[in-house]
Formats: sequence, C-alpha cells, structure tokens
Amino acid sequence: MSTINQPLTKIKLLNPTYPNKSTGIINGESSGLLNWNDIAYPQMYDLYQTLLANFWKAQEINMQDDIKQWDSLTDVEKDIFLRVNTQLASLDSLQTPTMSHVMDYVTDSSFKAIFAVISQQEAVHNESYSYVLSSLIPLREQNERFNQAKEDPIVKKRNEIILESYEAFRQDPTPQRLFELGINSINLEGIYFYAGFAFFYNLARQQKMLKTSTMISYIQRDEMQHAYFIAQFVRILLTENPELNTEENIQYIYKAIDHAVQLEKEWSNFILKDIEGINLEEFHGYVEYLANKRFRQLGLENYYPNREENPMPWIHVFSDEMMNETKSDFFEQKSRTYTKVSSSNGFDEL
Amino acid sequence: MKAAIIYTSVTGNTTFIAETIQENMEKRNVATDLIPVDEFHPERLHEYDIIAVGMYTWANGEIPIEMEEVYDAFETEDLKHTVTGVFGSGDSFFAHYCGAVDLFRDMLYVHTNLAVTLKIELMPQEPDLVKCEKFCDRLLQETLVIQ
Ligand SMILES: Cc1cc2nc3c(=O)[nH]c(=O)nc-3n(C[C@H](O)[C@H](O)[C@H](O)COP(=O)(O)O)c2cc1C
Repeated sequence: MSTINQPLTKIKLLNPTYPNKSTGIINGESSGLLNWNDIAYPQMYDLYQTLLANFWKAQEINMQDDIKQWDSLTDVEKDIFLRVNTQLASLDSLQTPTMSHVMDYVTDSSFKAIFAVISQQEAVHNESYSYVLSSLIPLREQNERFNQAKEDPIVKKRNEIILESYEAFRQDPTPQRLFELGINSINLEGIYFYAGFAFFYNLARQQKMLKTSTMISYIQRDEMQHAYFIAQFVRILLTENPELNTEENIQYIYKAIDHAVQLEKEWSNFILKDIEGINLEEFHGYVEYLANKRFRQLGLENYYPNREENPMPWIHVFSDEMMNETKSDFFEQKSRTYTKVSSSNGFDEL
Repeated sequence: MKAAIIYTSVTGNTTFIAETIQENMEKRNVATDLIPVDEFHPERLHEYDIIAVGMYTWANGEIPIEMEEVYDAFETEDLKHTVTGVFGSGDSFFAHYCGAVDLFRDMLYVHTNLAVTLKIELMPQEPDLVKCEKFCDRLLQETLVIQ
C-alpha cells in the first residue's frame, strides 16, 4: 500500500522529544508545543492574525431595519430568502466539526491553531443564520425551513458529495483523503456559497435587508480567507508529499471543481430564476470566473476560457464604512497623511 | 539607464509579476535589478532612474508590514526625479482591491515622479501580460520625457 493511502495516526497531544517547529504538516515530527516565533511557514502567523482581526458576532448587528422591511418583500423574495438562509446554515454546520476534526491529524501546531480559528468562525456563521431567522419568523416556521433544506433534492445532491468526502476521511484518515477533503472544502466555501451571496447582495443593491447583507459580507470575508488558507494547505500538502502530487490528483481537482460549478449553476437555476436583477446566463459566467480564481489560487491554470473578467462585480464584501466598522487595526499601521490620487493626476492606472 | 523592482509576495503571484516586469524591462534594454524586500537597502535607491514597487494586499487593504521600510525610505530620501511605478496582486472580492497599491501610490505621487500603477487579480492571466508590457512602456516613456 502506498503511503498516501496509509492511515494518518491521530497525534498525541505532546511529544516532548520532538522539535516545536514541525517537520511536516502531516506525518511530521512535532512536540505539539506552539511557539509562533519558530514555525515552518512564518506567513501562517500573519494569516492567523488577519483571521483574528475579522472577529465579529451576530449580536453586534441590529436587525431592526430588516425586521421592518421584511413584510414589504414579495412572497417570492421571502421564500428564497429563507431557503438560501437555511441552505447556507446547513453548509456551515458541516464546516465547524470538520475543521476541528482535521486538527487531530495535522502535525504542524501553527496549522492546527488556524484550523481552530476557522472552526470558531464557522460556528459564528452558523449562529448568525439562526439570529437572522429568529428576528424574522417563529420557531415552527424555522424548523419547517430547515426540514425543507434537508429534503431539497438539489441541496441534497450538492451536500452529498461533500459529505462523502468528509465522511471518507473520518472513516479512513489517509493523506489522499485529506487532500480530497481540502478540495471539497474549497468547493463548499468557495463555490457553493455564491448563488446565496448573489441573492443577498442583489437585495442590498435595492436597499433591501441591508443588515442581513452586512452579516453576509462579514461571512464572505471570512470564507474567502478560509479558502485561501485551504488552498495554501493543499499546495503545501502536495509539495511536502510528492507522492500526492500526481497528474491524477490534478485531474481530481479539475473534475471536482467543475462538478461543483455545474451543481452551483443548477442550484442558481432554481433559486435565482424569479429574482429581478439577476440574469442567470450572466450568473453562470460568474460561477466559471469564480472557479477560475480557485484554480489559480491552487497554482493551476484557468479551466474556463474567456472568463477573465468578473461579470457581476457587485458581488463583493462591503467596505468598512458601509459595515460601519470601528475595530482597530491589527497591524498598528501609522496614520497615512496623503491625499488619494488618480489617473487625472497625470499617471496611468492599468 | 538602470531600473529596480522591489517587491514582496507570500503566495508567489507578485513574484511572478515582478519577474515578468523584469523580463520586459531587459527586453527594452534596461538593466533591471530584482530585489525581494528582505534584500532592500534604502541608500541604494539613488542608483536607479526607474523604481517599480510591488506587493500583495492582506488585512483590510493595508500595506504589508515588511514594506514599511521601503515606504519610509521613499518619504525620507530625496527621490523627486526618480520615475516610479507601483504594482500588486489582489482579489477584487475584498472591499479594498489591491489596497496596498493605492496607499503606496498616494505616497509615491507626492515624493517621486509616479508614472503608472498596475493591479492584477491573483496570478496574471493573458490580458494581464499585455498590461505588464504597457507598465514598462509607460515607465520608459516618462524617463524619456525627463531627458
Ligand atoms: C488573509 C487574506 C486577506 C486578503 N485581503 C485582501 C484585500 O483586502 N484586498 C485584496 O485586494 N486582496 C486581498 N487578499 C488576496 C491577496 O492579495 C491575493 O491572493 C494576492 O494574489 C496575493 O499575492 P502574493 O501571491 O504575491 O502573496 C487577501 C488574501 C488573504 C490570504
């Protein structure tokens, strides 16, 4: 049996004879002690700090405006709002335990710490969907909506692929399955969320339910950074374990992400078809553009031709001003005193 | 004529852009030093007619901490006549797309002869390579204007 199919052992908490700086992200020798000043990939400390600086919680967002606006939404908007909310909640419910499960097999303590932060953030996302629901509809209806999400055939089909991979790693935690889990996690966080994001940001474009979309914006920022981390994790995994870095596995990535793209299009056909302001054709192009970005994050080539441009640039994280952010800056930057300049000042912006 | 490219990169995208720009400059017969930020010496800035600065953006659109020394050097050394350009890689989904490039731009505009800025999403794609060529043309054009 090749090493990539050999189970990873659940690691001991402390291995005092091993160095603090791990010799590998999996199957490495590591004492289990974490000194952030002595880690194998120093950029992980910056990433950890960046993630922490995102800290937010649902209760910070006052839902009053959205509560008042809720009744002015059309029936279709209300229905899709609730479907999307519970569908996103069910995706995030998978991420919290999976990220903490992976921690048991990752030998580098700095990576473990980042998985812990990601798991915490997923828990906050999960709570925020509940918080939105509790502001808008009674418990009985919430439960109906969750059941609906559980039974929805399209949602089920999407989630099954992810679940299968997560479950496979649970049953038999091999390097190969950890790699596959990473790719599926990128699909979940980096593709499957976007029809839902499009729906909420589209409402926001019409000045509707802005508190909910503020929350979505926080979630998107976190998720984007998670997808970056997982992409880096996968790249390091393949680099440190050349036996995983095969043509077959590269093909696995192309196939798995392409499949997620098809499923996201299918979901969008259902969920966004009656939504004014969203052209389905355009959204399909958007999903391909999005997937091309995921490929590039993984160090691969674009897969979909002629998808370099973002056809829906309004699907993006709100600016701080819009989110009314008051948090202090983590990196202790000095205040910058220069006026904003642009190409009208005599230079070119490419 | 001599040029320098000072850059920082975590995942390699900005490195790729920096190398592409270097190749393009050399193609245009300009000797160009490629300087990762940890090999940067402020006093050497005066050796160059053209300086391009490149960086990624993380953390709410701020300038990466390791670029602070470069930033300070441009503020304190007298480089009024140096032709500069700033480039970077980012992700347009974030609120401040290539925010570090913008912050550096505003400072370079005041302290140097800023000719051009360039933002690229992640790893460059076909159309971005054309922009890298234009970036170099624009830098050279500006030095000719001065001469
Ligand atoms: C934690 C984190 C935060 C980021 N924040 C931003 C941002 O605010 N603005 C932006 O344009 N890009 C942001 N990005 C995207 C990076 O700038 C992008 O991946 C870039 O290509 C990295 O360049 P490099 O490969 O040279 O390190 C962020 C990436 C990460 C991992």
